[in-house]
Amino acid sequence: MILNPYILTIFILNGIFLFLGTISFILSIKIYLGWDIDSTTQKQYKLEKQSYLASVIIKYIFIIKLFLFLFFIFILDKLSIVIPGAMCAAGVVNATDYGNSLFILKLLNIYIFGFWLMLYNINIKDETLPYTKMKYGLFIIAFILLLIEIGLETTMFLSIDPTKLVDCCGVLYSSSAISYVSNLFTISPTILLSLFYINLASLLIVYFYKQKELYAILSVTFLIISIITLIIFFGTYIYQLPTHHCPFCFLQKDYNYIGYLIYITLYIGTFYGVSVAFFNKQKYLNISFFFILIYTLIVSYYPLSYYFINRVWL
Amino acid sequence: MINLKSIIKEYKVNKNDTITALNDINLTFKEGSVNILKGASGSGKSTILSLIAGFSKPTTGEVIVDNKRISKLPDDFLALYRRENIGFIFQKYNLIPNITAKDNILLPLIPNNPDEKYINKKLDKVMKEFNIMDKKNIIVKNLSGGEQQRVAIARAMINEPKIIIADEPTANLDEKLSIEFCNIIKDLKDSNKTILIATHDPIFFSLDFVDNIIDIKKGVIQI
Repeated sequence: MILNPYILTIFILNGIFLFLGTISFILSIKIYLGWDIDSTTQKQYKLEKQSYLASVIIKYIFIIKLFLFLFFIFILDKLSIVIPGAMCAAGVVNATDYGNSLFILKLLNIYIFGFWLMLYNINIKDETLPYTKMKYGLFIIAFILLLIEIGLETTMFLSIDPTKLVDCCGVLYSSSAISYVSNLFTISPTILLSLFYINLASLLIVYFYKQKELYAILSVTFLIISIITLIIFFGTYIYQLPTHHCPFCFLQKDYNYIGYLIYITLYIGTFYGVSVAFFNKQKYLNISFFFILIYTLIVSYYPLSYYFINRVWL
Repeated sequence: MINLKSIIKEYKVNKNDTITALNDINLTFKEGSVNILKGASGSGKSTILSLIAGFSKPTTGEVIVDNKRISKLPDDFLALYRRENIGFIFQKYNLIPNITAKDNILLPLIPNNPDEKYINKKLDKVMKEFNIMDKKNIIVKNLSGGEQQRVAIARAMINEPKIIIADEPTANLDEKLSIEFCNIIKDLKDSNKTILIATHDPIFFSLDFVDNIIDIKKGVIQI
């Protein structure tokens, strides 16, 4: 077990989220089951007041959770110093049996929490509050996921053994690794890159033709392909090492924390991209395409600049 | 048109006890009418006004103003509704004593962030209308009671609301100033404003331009 001020901060915040989240969860169930905006009964007026309280609590929990995802990555990086063998967050994630599940769940949750916040913002802009039921229905699911996340996070931090040797990212993200990651290395980078830029071109076409459902689907495929190409191809140019494929190391100071910018642009771009399937808003489409373009420019810059300086590909 | 439908308003005194301020109130106020709500202190007059102004929500029932369900509006929309539709004149004027009459009157315009030309045009119009042009730059605490009330009315009118709500407006005025206030109300009626006044001042009960006098006792309308 490792306890440091960062982990204690996470534990204390999780405690607060559990307490306030449980209150909101109970209110959400009541609101979800009893909400009828046309009703003028005492029950409905009470639900409207409770909805206001619950929404404010949930809003702040989710906003903090979005930022805490970055803090979580930051903690993992910090922990890599004290865990033997770990060179970056990747080693810490793999130090326990829970790290990978937690990481994937956290990724899923930031999309769900973000979607809830979007729903909340759209809902309060209409005086009939049309998405109230949907908003609380989503929170009921999100809270269960949050509980699982808190449980996994606590278990992970408590079960890290600082005396146990772990694999570093160089081992974890290589073709020799005994995991699903190694399968990615069997795909040709040329095919992956083609898929990446074809996906981008498709997004551009769909963006101009305003085919929102198709755009949302392409945003999901773009997210998956982007992460794979980042590991297999673009990351190697950020490190300028053909054998280094870690998706975490470029979050460190040595690489000017560029990873944060890469992941934030990818998240915002794909998040708004998926959202256009549910909310027919041109603004979301514009935001999505802008950030996807920024992401593409950032990751493409590294191989291109490497080539122009060295006149050779890695 | 203002409609109050089956309104019950209860206040929680403590965990177990509630006070019923309004009990099954059904009222209609026509556009451009002057309406007097009379009754003793604690009868529920001010509660009716606060429901129409959107300051509070009923326990059951609904308030409808120009086909808009005010009691069902979320808080942000209520603020907008108040800004666009309601001019409120309080018993104690509720002016900020340490700033000028002009700055007090301009307070309701702040959220709209209008340009200076628009502000000056509006300000001059209401100050002329209520005969306080010469008091423009005087600190409010240095004005007399009657002047302060005219500033309060000017502030209520600056957004050109359709509904004027006054809660015990003559409670702090002498007879002469109360008559002056009644004349202002008549002028406002002539400009088709809907006026609601909660009062127990008998001066209002004999005015010929008053359309409705509603007597309330313990939260119930007396017929």
